[in-house]
Amino acid sequence: MGLKGWWWKISGVVIFLYVIIGGMIIPTRAGVTKSEPGSARSGDSVTMVIKAYNTHFLSAGQNRAWLKLDSLHAVKAHLLNAKTENDIQISFNIPEQFPASEKVQPLTLIIDNEIDGAFVQPNALFVTLSDSSIVDKSLWVNAGMNAFNKAKGIKFPYRNILNETIRNTFFHVALWFAMFILLIIGLYHAIQYLRTGNFDHDIQSASYNRIAIMYGVLGLITGSIWAKFTWNTFWTTDVKLNMTAVAMLIYLAYLVLRGSSSDHDKRAKISASYSIFAFLALIPLVFVIPRLTDSLHPGNGGNPALGGEDLDNTLRLFFYPSIIALILLGTWMAVLLIRYERLKEKIFMRN
Amino acid sequence: MKKFVLFIVLQTFWLHDIAAQNGEADFLRSMGKIYSVVVVIAIIFTGIFIFLFRLDRKLTKLENHIKNE
Repeated sequence: MGLKGWWWKISGVVIFLYVIIGGMIIPTRAGVTKSEPGSARSGDSVTMVIKAYNTHFLSAGQNRAWLKLDSLHAVKAHLLNAKTENDIQISFNIPEQFPASEKVQPLTLIIDNEIDGAFVQPNALFVTLSDSSIVDKSLWVNAGMNAFNKAKGIKFPYRNILNETIRNTFFHVALWFAMFILLIIGLYHAIQYLRTGNFDHDIQSASYNRIAIMYGVLGLITGSIWAKFTWNTFWTTDVKLNMTAVAMLIYLAYLVLRGSSSDHDKRAKISASYSIFAFLALIPLVFVIPRLTDSLHPGNGGNPALGGEDLDNTLRLFFYPSIIALILLGTWMAVLLIRYERLKEKIFMRN
Repeated sequence: MKKFVLFIVLQTFWLHDIAAQNGEADFLRSMGKIYSVVVVIAIIFTGIFIFLFRLDRKLTKLENHIKNE
């Protein structure tokens, strides 16, 4: 056994271990989980009770906080009272007059200390103006909002609701990407079979498709488990979920089709044509339709997931290697199936 | 065996629902739901194990076939 044919299998395992270990031990950034009250009137003195996550309010030398209206206008907290590492009470004197004249003004809460860095809670406080006709900027200054701290070390972004499950990007999301690549390999061999009639291409096409379908089913199950603990239900009638389920059913029919015919030649021809059809159905179902509508699914709602704020650079550090690892492991499994099928073919030809 | 595993899994989720209704943060939702990520990883490995198990059985069948020739 030489190392020649093994390097990609070993690197698949090593990269996947890197993803699991690194993806699990790196902490997420600090964030606000709960803040009360949610509304106030102008001129009030408000004490906000904040529950936060992964913060170090007691250990930090100095906590600072602001209520921000826009990039130029904010008020600074005059009293911060840290109860525990994750609990803090912040008092603000909200001015009587606002720089803008809308009746209700949403304010963003910014908390900053030297350990956790600066983190925000958008629309933390809605202020109703008692007299919106007077516009006065004098109490709204950019009070020290330029000297923010940076969080120490590599940290994954904090997203409300997602919390730690942002790590599922490396597992659940990567499974779908790897599935897609394996389906492309399967498609290539299906086309090659139809062109050349070489039976070996049929074996390869079926094996890659089989592993891809396994990835797809695992993707559905892992997503469902995540949904149970995030949306409190295994399945919702979300467009993205339903269309993906339809795509998976089309591919499951492929497996049924392959199992239904005993005539080798006929089976190979039908399943190769069917897998081309199934792949062409997959693209609009998974990539087009969910993007036309709104969706509960993270990374959706009109925008693709790759890019912008959805995929942080620290996430990319593990997300891309995870896709590569799952493709390598999937190819390994597919190659095992191919070798088995070839062996079986040889034995039955001999008889 | 299969039925037993299924029972345990369903039982766990049922207990979770009760805990969620009482407003308690249950184990899988504690610490920012980190354990649901662990469950996800476990499912991926279970999938790979099922694949290995089935391939093993197929190979055994093939070996027996060669032996009986």
